[in-house]
Amino acid sequence: MSGNTLGLWQGLMLGAVGLIVFVGGWELVVQLGMIDAFFLPPPSSVLARMLDLASGPDAVLWHDIRMSATRVLTGFALSALVGVPLGLLMGMSPAVRAALSPIVSIIRPLPALSWIPLSMLWLGIDEQQKYAIVFMGSFASVLVYTTDATLRVDQTLIAAARNLGASRLQVIRFVMLPGALPNILSGLKVVLAIAWTCVISAEMVGANSGLGFRIWTAKEWSDTGQVLVGMLSISITVLLLDILFRSLEHLLLPWQRGDGT
Amino acid sequence: MSEAVTVRPVIAARHVTMTFTTRKGPLTVLEGFDLQVQPGEVVCIVGASGCGKSTFLNLVAGFLRPSGGEVLLEGRPISRVEPRCGMIFQSYALFPWMTVLENVAFGPRLKGASRRACRERARHWISMVGLDGFEHAYPEELSGGMQQRVALSRVLANDPEVLLCDEPFAALDAMTRQVLQQELLQVVADTGKTVLFITHSIDEALILSDRLVVMSARPGRVKAVYCNDLPRPRGMDVQITDRFLELKRGIWGLVQEEVVGSLRALQRR
Repeated sequence: MSGNTLGLWQGLMLGAVGLIVFVGGWELVVQLGMIDAFFLPPPSSVLARMLDLASGPDAVLWHDIRMSATRVLTGFALSALVGVPLGLLMGMSPAVRAALSPIVSIIRPLPALSWIPLSMLWLGIDEQQKYAIVFMGSFASVLVYTTDATLRVDQTLIAAARNLGASRLQVIRFVMLPGALPNILSGLKVVLAIAWTCVISAEMVGANSGLGFRIWTAKEWSDTGQVLVGMLSISITVLLLDILFRSLEHLLLPWQRGDGT
Repeated sequence: MSEAVTVRPVIAARHVTMTFTTRKGPLTVLEGFDLQVQPGEVVCIVGASGCGKSTFLNLVAGFLRPSGGEVLLEGRPISRVEPRCGMIFQSYALFPWMTVLENVAFGPRLKGASRRACRERARHWISMVGLDGFEHAYPEELSGGMQQRVALSRVLANDPEVLLCDEPFAALDAMTRQVLQQELLQVVADTGKTVLFITHSIDEALILSDRLVVMSARPGRVKAVYCNDLPRPRGMDVQITDRFLELKRGIWGLVQEEVVGSLRALQRR
C-alpha cells in the first residue's frame, strides 16, 4: 500500500467510523433537544418505524419497494430494449445519426417530471403511466450513451477484422457489438439511477403505492419518521440493484476482470 | 535475379497518385509512385514521417483506392479490402474481448472452418511464435512484444500471400524489437511469404530487407532503391561492419535531404 491508496480493511474501517460518527451525532443532537424530534426524528426511532412498516400483517414497506422496483425495471428494460438497438444504428450510420439527432436533442433535456401531465391525461395513474414516465425520462439517455459507445469502438480493430476477411455484418457482430458493450453497460448503469428518480417523482404526483407515494403521504400526515424510512429504502434498494448490475457486468465482460477499474 | 526468368511481381504499383481532400484543400500524399515486389521478397520502405508510406500500405491492403494509377496484386487491381495481404499494425489491434486462441482463430473462423480445425490451426501458429501456454490469456495480460507475436500468428493463421507491416515494432523496447525482427525473419524463411515492411528506422530496414526503398518527402515517390547485399543472419557482428555503416550513411544522407527540404518548404509557407 503506497501513497494515496488504502487497504481493503482500512477503507472499510474508516467508512464504518464515518457512518457511526454521523449517525451517533444525529442521535445525540436530537436526544439533547437541540433539534425538535418532530422535524428530524433520531435514527433509533427511524429504525423502529422501519421495522414497524416492514413487519405486521400488511408489511407495506415490502409492497412499496416491490412496486417501485417493478416500475423502474420495466420502464428501464423498455428503454434499453428500444434505445440500445437504435443507438447502435445511430452509431454505425451517419445518415440515421443525422436524421435522429435533432429529435433526441429536443427530448433529452426534458425532465421526467415534465411528462407527468401529458402521461396522466393519456394513461391515467395506471402502471402504464409509470412505465411511460420512466421510459421518457431514460430513453434518450440510453440512446446517447449507446451511440457514443458505438462511435468509440477502435477503428483499427475494425480495419483489422476487415483485413482478416470479415464482411460488414461480421464486423458488426464480432467487433462493433463486443467493442461497444463495456461503454453501453456503464451508460445503462447511470441511466438506471436516473430511472429511479423518474419513478419516485411519478409516484409522488399520482399513485397509490410505491416508495414515492409512501414518502408523500407521510408528509401529509406529518410523519417525518416514515418520510425518512422511505428515503432510506430508496438508498438501500438502489445500492442493491447497483451491486446486482456490477455482477452482471462482471459476467458479461470477462476480459475486464481483475484490472480493478 | 537472372534476366531470363521473368517472375510476375506479387505487388505492382504503377504511377500511383493519392490525393486526400482536407479542409485546407486537396493534399497529394503520393505522386507517380512506382514499385514492384517479387514473390518471397522482403521489401522495406523508409522515409520521413508524412511521406505517404503508410498510405501506400493502406492502398495495398485495399483500405483506400488510388486517385490515379493502379495497385496490382498478382496482376489484378485491388478493388476491395484484401485478406490476401495480412496487415500487422503498430498498435497490435488485437480484440481485447478475445483470448489469444480466439484472436488467432478469428480468420479461419470467419471462413467457416470447423471449431476444431480453427483451434488446431490457431494452436500451431501460437506455438510457432513461442506462446504455448498463453492460449487462454487475454491480450491485456500480455507484454507488448507478446501481443505483437499474437498479431503475427493471427495474420499467419489466415495464410496471406503478403505480410504488410506498418511499423510493427516501433512501440517496443530495443531488446524486444531485435528479438522480434529475428523471429519475423525466421517465419518468413519458413513460410516464404512476401513482406512489405514500413519503418522509420534505417537499422531495422537494413537488418530485415532484401531490397530497401527510400521515399521522397510529400508527395511521396521512390527516391532510391538499394539491393541489400548484407550477409544473413544480420546479427550484431554484421551491424558493425563497414558495409552496414556505409549503406546506413548513404541512406541517412538521402532521408536527411528530404527532411531538411520539407522543413524549408514549411518555413517558406
